[in-house]
Amino acid sequence: MSQVEAVRTSPLGRLWMNRNLRFACLTLPGAIFILLFLVAPLMSIVVFSFWRTESYNLIAEWNLDNYRVLLSDPTYLTFLWRSTVMAVAVSLISLVYAYPVAYLIAKHGGRYRLILVLLTAAPFLTGIILRVTAIQHILGPIGLINMALTTFGMEPVEVLMYSNVASAIGLVYLWAPFMVLAIYLSLLNFNFELLEVAKVCGARPWRAFVEVTWPLNWMGTAIGIVLVFVPTLASSVTPRFLGGVDGALYGTILAHQFGATGTWALGSAMGVILFALSLIVILGIWRAVNLRRSGFTGEEA
Amino acid sequence: MTEAVLQLDDIVKSFGATKAVDRVSIDVGRDEFFSLLGPSGSGKTTLLRIIAGLETPDRGRVLINGEDVTRLPPYARRLGMVFQDFLLFPHRTVAENVAFPLKMQGVSPAVLKQQLEWALDLVHLTGLEERFPHQLSGGQKQRVALARGLVSRPSVLLLDEPLANLDRELRKEMEIEVRRFQIDLGIPFIYVTHNQEEALTMSDRMAVMNRGVLEQVGPKLELYERPRTGFVAAFVGSANRLHGEIRGIDGAVARIDWGGNELLGATPSGAGVGDRVDYFIKSERIAIVPAEGAGNAEGHTRLAARLRDVIFKGQYADYIVTLPSGSELVVSGPPALDGLTPRSDVVLHWPAEAADVFAAEAP
Repeated sequence: MSQVEAVRTSPLGRLWMNRNLRFACLTLPGAIFILLFLVAPLMSIVVFSFWRTESYNLIAEWNLDNYRVLLSDPTYLTFLWRSTVMAVAVSLISLVYAYPVAYLIAKHGGRYRLILVLLTAAPFLTGIILRVTAIQHILGPIGLINMALTTFGMEPVEVLMYSNVASAIGLVYLWAPFMVLAIYLSLLNFNFELLEVAKVCGARPWRAFVEVTWPLNWMGTAIGIVLVFVPTLASSVTPRFLGGVDGALYGTILAHQFGATGTWALGSAMGVILFALSLIVILGIWRAVNLRRSGFTGEEA
Repeated sequence: MTEAVLQLDDIVKSFGATKAVDRVSIDVGRDEFFSLLGPSGSGKTTLLRIIAGLETPDRGRVLINGEDVTRLPPYARRLGMVFQDFLLFPHRTVAENVAFPLKMQGVSPAVLKQQLEWALDLVHLTGLEERFPHQLSGGQKQRVALARGLVSRPSVLLLDEPLANLDRELRKEMEIEVRRFQIDLGIPFIYVTHNQEEALTMSDRMAVMNRGVLEQVGPKLELYERPRTGFVAAFVGSANRLHGEIRGIDGAVARIDWGGNELLGATPSGAGVGDRVDYFIKSERIAIVPAEGAGNAEGHTRLAARLRDVIFKGQYADYIVTLPSGSELVVSGPPALDGLTPRSDVVLHWPAEAADVFAAEAP
């Protein structure tokens, strides 16, 4: 009896030959992880959002009150609107910052490219609180900028102290490295010779960018936008540290529901609304990526 | 040659310590097919990029139709260019790729449509307008690249090894077509290649470049028949290169010792007895006859050898012969010559003027 035959006839060998079982063994750990730590909490949030809270207790009574409040009360709608505006603004500012940085590193970084990209993400080696505090120490009333100004007898810049502008600066600082990375990775696969072709064909540098660089790297850019937009939409810590009294965003209020006020059901409903809004934005951006037009064919250099 | 459309005047370009292009001057006329031939690293591509405006020369001028364009950026030069690796825009259809130069020039939609149709028709791509580059074969991509280069009716078309990535069969076909486009359009083509066969097939004139320097410029037959340097003799055509030493000089003819054999060839200018020389004899200029009954022509180099192998190539054959010294020579001739079978004794002979002799380059 050959070795192959031996494996085929032994009980364990027979199990191994079963393709479905093998597939299950390989996918099970990942599937369990996703179920346990992503789908289950998400589903519980969705379930809670249809319940109600009373004196810090969740009561399993199905109702739509949470959503009715959130979608009719002007306070909540205002905060949702503010968060959306903030997320759009931070994404756009990050884009203006990240594209040139990623472009310069990808095109001129040479053998230091990887180090340079990692350096843009260096602040990630510390925690979010530390980073936000660091920003506070630059923008705040006794921060680097305003201290310097007052030392030289000038007026401090009010707009940098505990305002939405400060929040925006902090959020750009926090999330822009993700966008740099996404755009950089996309540009790594971009054939810069195509720009020379465009120029010989009569395109000025700016036109060549619009006609060639931008569309061919739009997918990476879109991913970068999502990576900045979604966390900004849900941000709570940054506006709390930097935004001041009028700087509260949807995420700040949401965090409140799970803390001070203890209205878990309402908080869950807010979470679902944020999730839905993020999903809409992601789907919208995904639709804007035309795979055939992205140059993403898997074979073209 | 009619008046020059493209003039290169004393172009110099260095990258660091290496001179990529060293004092190159060329004039190309209105309806010329001009090839820049050289090995990789010879500076031919750099020279083409200087013409296109993708590199700025350190010195010298580029003139197109008499106008100095040396300092103009590429997009202001209105040249056509066909790149190696095709370099089509992968996110654009065939029609969009070809129409790109027209779009950049901002021509009217009517003119754009007309020019686009003309260019697609010229390269036989009608019907493939809506395809994307990844849906095309290599030959079709090459045609798109050509159409894109020609569509705006440029005053000069630059081609950078455009056929290097095609298989042999397709290359032969495209060589003939590219030449046809050039004749039909009546504009100069500047064609960069390392393939001497391509250059010989298509060109009117050609230049051989080596280490940034023009070795020789002239009609292709002149370069083939009368190379002026050892490099050109080695690079153009298939020649046997023999290293010898001058033993005696009888007027214009030198007697050269090559491993105990006597070769006859024109004396290189300024050479004297005892000088080392490179002796080139093109394989098709050698006559090969069976040893028995071989005559002895006056003024011919005559070598006895043994036929090792015959390599049949179709219209001709390469005869590989071994000399008593162990050296091998290649002789090209009609296939199936009478009495020539492997391991038979043969005699090779050729007149003195068939060979090209140059003072040996320092090794």
